[in-house]
Amino acid sequence: MGARRYLRLGYDSIEQRLARVGQTMSDSEGTALEKTRHGSRRDEMQALFPSLQSRAWLAHPNRMLFGAYDGKMPDSFNGFTELESQLQYRFPIVSFYQAWGDRPDEAHFPLRTIETIDRLGSVPMVTWEPWVRDFDSTLRPNLPPPAEREYASLASIARGDYDFYVTAWAREAAQYGKPIFIRFAHEMNDPYRYPWGPQNGNRPDDFIAAWKHVHLIFQKMNATNVLWVWSPHISMPWFEYYYPGAEWVDWVGTGVLNYGDVAQWSRWWTFHQIIEKAYPTLQKLGKPIMITEFGSLTSGGDAVEWYDHAFHDMHDKYAGIRGVVFFNQPRDVTLSAQPLDWSVMQSDRMRNTVRMVLTHSQ
Amino acid sequence: MRSTRAWQDDSEIFRWRRAKPIARWERWVLGVLLFLGLQSVVVFALWWFRAEHVGNLPLFVLLSFATWYGISRMLVGWYNVFHIEQPALPDPEGRTPSSAGPRVNAAVAAPADEGVRHSIEDGPSVAIFTTSSPGEPLAMFERTLAAARDVRYPHTTYLLDDTRDPRFAELAREMGAVHLELTGIPGAKAGKINAALKQTSEEIILVLDPDHIPFPEILDRVLGHFDDERVGFVQVAQTYYNAPRSFVARAAAEQTFAFYGPILQGMHGSATAVAIGANCTFRRTALESIGGHGVGLAEDLVTAIRLHAAGWKSVYVPEVVARGLVPEDLDSFLRQQLKWARGVYEVLFREYPRAFRRLTMHQRISYAMIGTYYLVGLTSLIYLVIPLLYLITGFQPAAMFLAEYLVHALPVGILGVAIYRFMQRWMCDPERERGWHWRGTLLKIGCWSVYLKALMLALGNVAVPYIPTAKERRTGNFWRLAAVPLGVVTLSAATVAYAVMQRLFVLSEAEVRITTEATAGMIGFVAVNVVFMSGRLYAAWKDSDHTRRGGATKSHSSPSAG
Repeated sequence: MGARRYLRLGYDSIEQRLARVGQTMSDSEGTALEKTRHGSRRDEMQALFPSLQSRAWLAHPNRMLFGAYDGKMPDSFNGFTELESQLQYRFPIVSFYQAWGDRPDEAHFPLRTIETIDRLGSVPMVTWEPWVRDFDSTLRPNLPPPAEREYASLASIARGDYDFYVTAWAREAAQYGKPIFIRFAHEMNDPYRYPWGPQNGNRPDDFIAAWKHVHLIFQKMNATNVLWVWSPHISMPWFEYYYPGAEWVDWVGTGVLNYGDVAQWSRWWTFHQIIEKAYPTLQKLGKPIMITEFGSLTSGGDAVEWYDHAFHDMHDKYAGIRGVVFFNQPRDVTLSAQPLDWSVMQSDRMRNTVRMVLTHSQ
Repeated sequence: MRSTRAWQDDSEIFRWRRAKPIARWERWVLGVLLFLGLQSVVVFALWWFRAEHVGNLPLFVLLSFATWYGISRMLVGWYNVFHIEQPALPDPEGRTPSSAGPRVNAAVAAPADEGVRHSIEDGPSVAIFTTSSPGEPLAMFERTLAAARDVRYPHTTYLLDDTRDPRFAELAREMGAVHLELTGIPGAKAGKINAALKQTSEEIILVLDPDHIPFPEILDRVLGHFDDERVGFVQVAQTYYNAPRSFVARAAAEQTFAFYGPILQGMHGSATAVAIGANCTFRRTALESIGGHGVGLAEDLVTAIRLHAAGWKSVYVPEVVARGLVPEDLDSFLRQQLKWARGVYEVLFREYPRAFRRLTMHQRISYAMIGTYYLVGLTSLIYLVIPLLYLITGFQPAAMFLAEYLVHALPVGILGVAIYRFMQRWMCDPERERGWHWRGTLLKIGCWSVYLKALMLALGNVAVPYIPTAKERRTGNFWRLAAVPLGVVTLSAATVAYAVMQRLFVLSEAEVRITTEATAGMIGFVAVNVVFMSGRLYAAWKDSDHTRRGGATKSHSSPSAG
């Protein structure tokens, strides 16, 4: 249908203009805030982390970097600021998720969210998920129908089928210019989770080829401000076969989420139990390690103890870990309709435990 | 509505006119516009109703209701204008309205002898009924009765009078009208008509509003359609001669132009033309078949739905054959609107279910749409509340990108306006009626509280007294007249001030920075709401005691309409 294309063109040009206008308005509101409040979060961050805007330093930080994702993001930062005020801490990394696709929240480089995080003085981390079926067939006549796209999608990314999207995104990322963590196609080795997993005929070689292809596009677009976070699921064996190589990766990451006893396949595992086996492999890669999704449910054990032990173990046994991103999602419905609460603010004890650790890290 | 100059020449105003005939190329253009319009609405709908757009669910439901109510009103207008059809002109003999009637250019002078019936042997016997009630000015009847006397087709004029004022009987005698003393009859105007039906015998009855001045050709233009035995009533355009006298009069008139132009012609085309407003001509046997003229606040509409249900056909004649008065001051307008809205709900809740089974599909749709016309009161409230609620609580009804919204909504809006402007070529008096009608729109939305009150009264089954609409301009206390729009403006200003303070001093920096556009957008909606209140506010100022000393009469201290 031709009308959709015209709508799209109209949308793109209006959207980009509005985004610019919106950013200008938001910046002037931010300037007004600085006056009424005598300072800004950015000033505080600069005092605490003077090198945070340096890509080189971020690739080899000499101290622990904490970060957080909040379930309300990117539409609202309410949950995030609530978390920060309860923990009396400012997170240098702010994490959020974006899927590929043609929906308005997917179609472009998420400039407004990223600029907002930048204005707050932190570094954004985008978990960039190749949901290739989200591309609109009427706009993309060259792509196969959505149902057929997911089989071997990583090979088709490597082949360049989605360059139209990756290139535009990379160009905008380059224009933005300041450091961004990108966690592309995470948990690629888990056959139970995402469509880009091995269950869809995606082999390790395909993943590596896709990763390199995307990486090269970013290089070609001069988006060298990006820090690449390679993030497998460490509970699955042989994840190391998905590693693209040292020159293609800046950080290695993994989620450490304790589901307690909420699912049949899960039981109460400590941080140590989850990471123990994989850690030597991760460490051997010689990159800073980031716990990209960090948290524990409360069902089936003592979550306060879990956090307490996790931080101790990080300090004592896992010194290669340089980044921890809290998964502050109080309503996670990805596992079941019953929402799961990953928040660290479920009790005063829990909050105080986490707060102590964060305060000491400064 | 064009410049005031168009309204200066009485000989231009009190002159027969007919809506321009519909040319073949115009139908094609209309068809294309409607097709594009429909397409834009479908695209908008497919986009609007997506799960990812739902913010706060109850608010999304409310916002969807308001938005799609508005679009459905537009669609109904399109549906009507799609059926646009003009009744054939009666042939020169005045017998049957031939289907290939002669083309008459509306700009040409009165239709001379065409369609005229001069002798009673040719056609049916006709009565003109006009009613007078206590408090109505005698001078108005002088003009109306004199004009009724000058109507060319032989007829008897009856003055249905309950003023108990001997001067009215005297005036009737002078003007050659029959004076019927009809005091103490319940059912207001309709009650008197029914009583008069029993005392008279004419086959055809023109119910003439007392503030309307009929032109000599009025009956000639109407009677031919009764040759079809199945036609129960013939409605003519309702037009005004006092429209330029005040903002309210202009606005009120503007609200009617499209309806008495292309819309009713479309309803004629789908056999749903209603008796509404003034100067409907009925067949006696038709009225008798439904037990007389309907009673109620919207008595004409009650009568129309009953006649349609009884199988009678209706004809709409898009011609200016009389001109009357439209309310000139805010208080009168609000009272009239409350009465109408309450009456229309009465038809929707009481008459419509009863008639439903016996109506045609077109009529079912049409009466449902008329019956829900005044829901604009409810949707306006929704539009008022949503941005204020966001600024106070942060509840967002919809998660939509402004750019996406604009891209999808603009085609609908542009085509809606294009079709509205295009169909204005079929207005009965385009020179005076065409335009953007912003006054009418402002006042309609400004009166939301009245329409909402009517809905509440209807749901609570509370009656509204039947008072004839005031015929003179009255003034009132500014604060009483302006209470609602001032309230809205004050509340809006206070909420915006509160929100700005919250953002500057309380909300977290991150939240402020990421919600700038959403907040600016909502403040924009608040500003639009304030603009929509300006019409009623301005009217209240112009009609307050303090601005208009002398001249106008002071309104009674009865409670305001809303």
